[in-house]
Amino acid sequence: MTFFKKSTVLATVAMSLSLAALGVEAKTLRVGVSNDALSMDPIASSDNPSIMTQLLIYDQLVHPSKDGTKLEPGLAESWKVSADGKEYRFTLRSNAKFSNGRTVTAADVVYSLKRAAGEKSQWGRFFRPITSYEIVDDRTVVMKLDQPFTPMLNNLALFSASILPAALMEEQGEKFFDKPVGAGPFVLEQWNRGAKQVFTRNSNYWKEGKPAIDGAELQIIGEDNSRVLKLKAGELDAIVGVPFNQVASLKSDNSLNVGIAPVFRAELVQLNTSKKPFDDERIRRALNYAVDKDALVKGILRGNGRVATSSLPVMAYHNDDLKPYPYDVAKAKSLLQEAGYSGGLKLTLLVPSGSVTHRQVASAIQANLREAGVAVELQTIEASSMFSTTKAGNYEMALSYTTSDTIDPDQLVGFTAVNPERANAFHTQWKDARVNELYELERRTLDGPDRGKMFQEIESRVHDGAPFIFLYNQAETFASRKNVEGFQVLPTSNYSLEDVTVK
Amino acid sequence: MPIAIYCLNRLVQLIPVLIGITLIAFLLLRVMPGDPATLILGSRGTAADIAKLNAQLGLDQPLWRQYLLFLKDIATGSFGESIAYKASVGPLIWERLWPTIWLVLFSTVMAVVLTVPLALLAAVRRGSVADAGIKLFFIVAMSMPSFWLGILLVLLLSIVVPVFPVSGYGDTILERLHHLVLPSLVIALATAALTVRSLRSSVIAVLSADYVDTARSKGLRSRQVLWRHVLRNSLMSTISVLGVHTSWVIGGTVVIETLFGIPGLGSLLVSSISARDYPMVQGLTVTFAVLVVLINLLTDLAYVAVDPRVKLS
Repeated sequence: MTFFKKSTVLATVAMSLSLAALGVEAKTLRVGVSNDALSMDPIASSDNPSIMTQLLIYDQLVHPSKDGTKLEPGLAESWKVSADGKEYRFTLRSNAKFSNGRTVTAADVVYSLKRAAGEKSQWGRFFRPITSYEIVDDRTVVMKLDQPFTPMLNNLALFSASILPAALMEEQGEKFFDKPVGAGPFVLEQWNRGAKQVFTRNSNYWKEGKPAIDGAELQIIGEDNSRVLKLKAGELDAIVGVPFNQVASLKSDNSLNVGIAPVFRAELVQLNTSKKPFDDERIRRALNYAVDKDALVKGILRGNGRVATSSLPVMAYHNDDLKPYPYDVAKAKSLLQEAGYSGGLKLTLLVPSGSVTHRQVASAIQANLREAGVAVELQTIEASSMFSTTKAGNYEMALSYTTSDTIDPDQLVGFTAVNPERANAFHTQWKDARVNELYELERRTLDGPDRGKMFQEIESRVHDGAPFIFLYNQAETFASRKNVEGFQVLPTSNYSLEDVTVK
Repeated sequence: MPIAIYCLNRLVQLIPVLIGITLIAFLLLRVMPGDPATLILGSRGTAADIAKLNAQLGLDQPLWRQYLLFLKDIATGSFGESIAYKASVGPLIWERLWPTIWLVLFSTVMAVVLTVPLALLAAVRRGSVADAGIKLFFIVAMSMPSFWLGILLVLLLSIVVPVFPVSGYGDTILERLHHLVLPSLVIALATAALTVRSLRSSVIAVLSADYVDTARSKGLRSRQVLWRHVLRNSLMSTISVLGVHTSWVIGGTVVIETLFGIPGLGSLLVSSISARDYPMVQGLTVTFAVLVVLINLLTDLAYVAVDPRVKLS
């Protein structure tokens, strides 16, 4: 031990002793969020609040990096992918422990991933490419695939790939999730549904000295304004989701820090290409030229976002060469004329009710398109029926958005660009043979520049084919009081609390 | 008829009402577009995945069978398993029932406390500045949307003069009462706006009745006349208004619950409808129906307490 290390250890010990002597109370971070979690079962959750809580209490083999561009070691300290992409070998940390003190073993990994691929899992498709497991020893597990599937590693970073204690789960069954035990930084101590979740620090967490706080409390406050008011009143230390029109005023408040997180989300208008006139690419491009996206970002997001170039958010392998369709009414009009619609067009736009932002955007689009000679009728629809309506093809245009669960673009490419696939290019029925071919290829190509070029070509083909009006990538807003350091929302929309300190 | 038997009778009458309500709730949910499996799997599910999940949720069964299973779940008290929460509906509703009941009770008490003195004052001093002021105050309170009134009260009483918490529910009973003052006040103001007007006009009518003159002429002091004779005889119509309004408040507190972060039934209902959580919505509908019937029963009992001429039948 060097002198420096020794002295820091001594200083830490001395400090904690003096803090204890002073009777300093435990540091708990109080965070205000908009919705409560539903379930703690990682294979049966798809709502963000459940996912975020699960990421606090469970751990996975690998983690997305904080900027969301690559993977970092989690419970696995290292891993190796064979050259043919069909074998993954993971080595677990020797100090990886569940919150009950038991060591995380290869058997836990195999049990959890088999469960995630099982019949009852809502995420089975993400893990079924693994066809067999081999437990080499307590700390080594080998997974085999019948054919290479490159998104696999990213899927193992998903919350649904959380490693659970096999023996305890076997013993308790579904009851396990009433008092879940995980290897993540926090332990869920108390859950008053609809009101709050209380966490304590997991003292067995493998990352030394983390979390830096003793506990955390997620308070459920559905109303945006109440959340802001509570933060101002000092009843909360941090909040997620600041209304865009209040960001500026909170920034000027000296007691607060405001953050803007670029999250994996793209706002767009689906165009039903199986219907006239959207079968004509010129019409779809004309609509993209006719909407003033800059004005949407400035006026509605108050600058908290950027104009989108395709249906993919800005994430790994993003094609930086693409430029958004500029706002050009003359060009839009000439394209419409070329396509034989100089006499004007009448279209309908489905708008999900309940979201104020979406209603504002829809009115702005309506006004923009009117200038290009397109009359738009807005049809408000209850948000929960939106997906099944567009899926059934009962629409012309629909205002919607996509988010990515993983840091790999594969998921959203499969969802918004490939047809036939599970959503047939997000219900637009747009079909591009080259995109389909690249999708097959990308999944079999090892991560690296070659795979990146495939994604960039896909993105550029989606941009040109324009099955959507590409609107913008909206940022997530958050704020914390000045005595809180390190609170941030990550590109994957969750917040890591292990590095947060409260002064 | 003895009061216990009367109550029992009324509760038995509840059964056909409930069967009707469950049937309507059940059918309405099924005709709504959007099904839980599609909502859950969203961007991730293939048609086969969605069909499989629907089967796991028992939604591939014929409707009549689903309905009978639902009735069976009610009979056992579990109300079935929530699709969103993956847990029994009964305990989940039970947990969220109490904040709503507290809110309704507290706001009703507040409304009564506001109504009686203000309505009496307005009626006795009819046409005075006080009367006009009370009228104006409640017209403003009633025409202001409740969320707006709520935000204003929070700004005033939680931020500028921090007396009450901005939102939340609290752990102990005292904490809860403290947290519930502002939300209850918002509801109470809306209720009192109706009841003050109704009570004021009844009091004015009763004041000119012969028996009031009789009471006065037999030498009772005017306060005694007002409380014992005038108020009791004026309360009937106000009790009806209060009963109807309270039934409405039970299901209509969602705005207040959301604004003040109270984990009650209203917000649970809205989120469950969005998630197409059929068992939860069905369970909540039954709960609301029972509560409304109970409030009607209490209203009827209140008539008897106020006016001995009313007979239970």
